[in-house]
Amino acid sequence: MAIGSLVSVVDDDESVRESLPDLLRELGFLAQSFSSAEKFLTSDSLNKTRCLILDVAMPDMSGPDLQRELTLRGHGIPIIFITAHGDATIRPTLIKRGAVECLLKPFSESDLLTALHSAFRVD
Amino acid sequence: MQVELSDVIDTLPGLAWIERADGSVDLVNRRWREYTGAAHASAPELEWQHVMHPDDLPEFMKRWQPLPAPSHNRAEPRQIDVRLRRLDGQYRWFHFQSSPVFGVSGEVIKWCNIAIDVDHRKRREDALRATEINYRKFVESLPGLVVTMNLAGEIELASQEVLEFFGKTPEELKRWATSDAVHPDDLARVTAAFRESVATGNPYNIEHRCRRADGVYRWFQVRALPVKDTDHRVTGWYVLLTDITERQQSIEDRNWAEGLLAGEKQLLEMIGSGHSLHEVLHAACIFVEKASANSHCGFYPIDWSGPTFRSAVAPTLPASYTDPIEGLPVRYDIAPCGIAAFDRMQVIVENIETDPRWRGSSYQSHVLSHGLKSVWSTPITSKEGLVLGTFCIYQRSPGRPSKRQFELMAQVTHIASIAIERSHAEAALKRSEALLAEGQRLSLTGTFSWCVATDEIVWSDQSYRIFAVDPATPLTFGLIYTRIHPEDAPAFNAMVERARETRDDFDFVCRLLLPDRSVKHVHVVAHGARSHNGHLDYIGAIQDVTQRRLSEDALNRARAELTRVARVTSLSVLTASIAHEVNQPLSGIITNASTCLRMLAADPPNVQGARETATRMIRDGNRASEVIARLRALFSKKEVACESLDLNEAARELIALSLSELQRKKILLRTDFADDLSPVAGDRVQLQQVILNLLLNAAEAMSGVQDRPRHLVIRTQRESRDHVRLSIQDAGVGLDPQTMDKLFEAFYTTKSDGMGIGLSVSRSIIERHQGRLWATPNNGPGATFSFSIPCKSEIELHTHDFTPTDAPDAQDARQVARSL
Repeated sequence: MAIGSLVSVVDDDESVRESLPDLLRELGFLAQSFSSAEKFLTSDSLNKTRCLILDVAMPDMSGPDLQRELTLRGHGIPIIFITAHGDATIRPTLIKRGAVECLLKPFSESDLLTALHSAFRVD
Repeated sequence: MQVELSDVIDTLPGLAWIERADGSVDLVNRRWREYTGAAHASAPELEWQHVMHPDDLPEFMKRWQPLPAPSHNRAEPRQIDVRLRRLDGQYRWFHFQSSPVFGVSGEVIKWCNIAIDVDHRKRREDALRATEINYRKFVESLPGLVVTMNLAGEIELASQEVLEFFGKTPEELKRWATSDAVHPDDLARVTAAFRESVATGNPYNIEHRCRRADGVYRWFQVRALPVKDTDHRVTGWYVLLTDITERQQSIEDRNWAEGLLAGEKQLLEMIGSGHSLHEVLHAACIFVEKASANSHCGFYPIDWSGPTFRSAVAPTLPASYTDPIEGLPVRYDIAPCGIAAFDRMQVIVENIETDPRWRGSSYQSHVLSHGLKSVWSTPITSKEGLVLGTFCIYQRSPGRPSKRQFELMAQVTHIASIAIERSHAEAALKRSEALLAEGQRLSLTGTFSWCVATDEIVWSDQSYRIFAVDPATPLTFGLIYTRIHPEDAPAFNAMVERARETRDDFDFVCRLLLPDRSVKHVHVVAHGARSHNGHLDYIGAIQDVTQRRLSEDALNRARAELTRVARVTSLSVLTASIAHEVNQPLSGIITNASTCLRMLAADPPNVQGARETATRMIRDGNRASEVIARLRALFSKKEVACESLDLNEAARELIALSLSELQRKKILLRTDFADDLSPVAGDRVQLQQVILNLLLNAAEAMSGVQDRPRHLVIRTQRESRDHVRLSIQDAGVGLDPQTMDKLFEAFYTTKSDGMGIGLSVSRSIIERHQGRLWATPNNGPGATFSFSIPCKSEIELHTHDFTPTDAPDAQDARQVARSL
């Protein structure tokens, strides 16, 4: 686990943006949150981020769109997708495109830790 | 002696001469010489031949021929009237007398001739004779016969013409009053009139018939004037008989023609004033029987649907005659009327007893048993030549119709044809009116007319029913306004005023508020036209569209419902939507709880941080609760259902709902449904959503197609023993092979306004029904989207969570489906 690494959270849902960074910090990570994919792409956190926790369904640029964009730009940031759409059918597709994990909201702390472990192992 | 004789004859009051026995002149007297101017008496023979009028000479010579000697003793005085030329050239009449002078032996030796001037007498006689001739000529030239009668009334003098006319001798004619010369019907009248005239001395003038020699009676006007003597006593009568038969005939003809015309007029008036056919034919019979004495008449209308004789009218024939004819089939040989009907010609049976055509027939005995002998049947034909019936005249004695009876039959059958055609037309009109009324009733359409100038309004019965107005109520705009819905009254008023001013046709829909507080929607269309008197008339229709309105409203509600459900798209999306809305706050709660626990477990515990996270948990918990409440309100309808359903029926329901949308998009929809389709088990609403989705996609794919018909085929078929398939084939833009595998991905769309979840959701619905959904390009333009799902028995084996078809849920689902 890369304690002190920057984990960025991109989600249009405010409660996620409030709660998840706090938990990540409790777990020993640095955390930043963004309300949209565009804001993340234009922030200076982009290059410092070691792991991205990314919401699937967002207005304008969706999670998968951002994933594609990052791949195109050559940013190999491990991505943990989170989604409130309780439909597991998209998970395989996302994994296939290189996502570390796709967590279905609500997810437990241990699920998150497992995913983060995977992300940093990959990293 | 010689001298003496000459002296004597010179004294005679006439022209005298003495003739020898041989005819030579012996001596002429002075008067002769003076009269003729003869200078000498040497050749008197020659002279008198010159003196005598050439016309008289031949007769004179014949008489004056000297008689042969042996007959001398029989010589008698001779006399003749001749004309002699006087000195001045004028001829005068003389009476010649010649007496023989006999010798001793009794022989004629000389003739003494004397010519007395009788010119005056002769001329008077000629004048008289001429007068007589003139008179006779005058009498004979009179246009009539002339006789004289004595006071006893006997004919005394009768011209030859009179004798020839009557063919009687004067003696026979004398007692005309006891002969057959005067028509027996007139005799009493004639003798009475004559006695009257004899008694009073007044002229006598009477018209009566006289029997001509050939037995024919002729009409005469007979006028008699009294002949009176100097004491003014009547001595006899001059009688002039003038033949007025021709005049009488023309008067009779005129009376006949007038009678016919009057009868025709009366009958036509009856037809015109709406008398029944029976009444008109009855009157026609009476008319004919009056005009043609000793006749009985009958009308026999024919009903060609049989054909049979129907509703015979024969007022003076007993029921025992006409009853057997009623309903009798019309056959050629049944009666003269049969021949008349089939040959369209008049049939004259002069004597039914002897006519070979009917000998021994039941018709013959029927006619004879009623004392009838002659039967004259005339067909009654329409303008188009159709035989409408027959008209029959019967007489109790044998005979042919007279010229007038022929006329009468022609006339009466013509009128009867008008009456029957009129009655047919009226019956047809009544039928058509009844049909129209029935049509108006069934189509809930009334008609009206409105004369703008007078505001006279006329409604059909159905219009009265639509407005719930008693047909006895006089129609006014005031009355109509009491029925117009108050909210629509201003618009209605505006429409009426516009129609008054512009004379334009109008077409509008408004509501009626009826006395029972019910509301009707009516659609009014009207066309303005100039009537014959130049007024503007509107003629229009009022249709009660309430039911249509209500079903339109119901349809609109169903569409809105469908739209709402379609917006939700599927249970899957619904679930996802619920999950998303609820999972967001749940996710926050769990994350916060984890954080909270970690903060409390820290050394020292981060109580402040834990408090903040716990506060966020409460907030998120409330948020989740609100989401559930909101969703429950939004999706109050039953969401999951399963039932046995007929895919054809489900598709038909959907087509019914989408038809107007498809028509609007100019799509030609064809269905090709298999008859033997097994029922499937599933959620009707969900499957219908899939079908709707495919249908709308197909319609969308064809929206840009302009160069070919926008054909859309919905087909159901049995795919295998245990699967049924539904496919929707369009003629749209077709499929791009590059993106075919993406079609069913969520969030993939080719539409600018689509969410891209339709096909993805559809596929997930079908997969949940253990079926599959796929797309194939057509051979021609467009694509075909199909799904196949297992039949009912098949699916039941695999599923436990599907509710049995008779469970309440399934019933609810059906209700949901129906409410669509």
